[in-house]
Amino acid sequence: MSINKIDPNKWVDKYSDYLFNYTIVRVNDRELAHDLISETFLAGLKSMKNFKGEATERTWLISILKRKIIDYYRKSNSRKGRAEIKIQYSDDSNEGDWLEENAPDVLDKTAEDVMENEELGVAILDCMQQLPEKQAKIFKMKTIDGFDTEAICNEFNITPSNLWVIIHRARTTLAQCLEKNWF
Amino acid sequence: MSYKKALLIDCSEAAFCCDKAQYKEASVADKLKMLLHLVYCKKCKNYSEKNTKLTKLINQSEIKTCTEKEKKAWKEKIEKEISNQ
Repeated sequence: MSINKIDPNKWVDKYSDYLFNYTIVRVNDRELAHDLISETFLAGLKSMKNFKGEATERTWLISILKRKIIDYYRKSNSRKGRAEIKIQYSDDSNEGDWLEENAPDVLDKTAEDVMENEELGVAILDCMQQLPEKQAKIFKMKTIDGFDTEAICNEFNITPSNLWVIIHRARTTLAQCLEKNWF
Repeated sequence: MSYKKALLIDCSEAAFCCDKAQYKEASVADKLKMLLHLVYCKKCKNYSEKNTKLTKLINQSEIKTCTEKEKKAWKEKIEKEISNQ
């Protein structure tokens, strides 16, 4: 078995999207997610010598991140009592409504859906990691961040037809990869 | 002859239209040409189906990624920490 090595200079490029996606579904706050990941990187740097190379770098970073997220919830939980859950069976605004209207919406997202979506996100990010760096960056900007064609062209100094060729290659690779790993 | 040229497109152009359509940037003419091409070209039809599926999956996954600015901030922090060690 090859031993996994650690290289902190590549952490951000390689794992930040993955870590961010992992965090944001759990804390639902951009700024907080950013801080938690910063802490994770710093904690990772500090305990680098403890890394035995048994797991991959990513798994190791995720395990640190998990602790950070749990710590955050612990801390916020110790300020208990500020929030209260109130159950009101009737108030003036929905007076006269059917009781069923208070029932949860079955079409609403269930925990299972959320989990499946998260796994799908991981699969897509994994596949995106197989793309060449520039392709991945451009594809991400266009597809996920929704930038204009023009804005991307200006930033990377390419023509629109260049951009579409890159997008086409990225989409073909991604579709093949997802077909293998997801369907 | 000229209208034939305008209507019948080759596979690479059809793929180009299809990619644009995924980002809602294809014009009506683009879409018409593409649909006509898909009628007789199985390979492109296959590609188009996969491409649409990919778009759907990406939308469904609700991926959120970090911005370049955020990445830069992390990189700086890591570099600083390394140089301190």
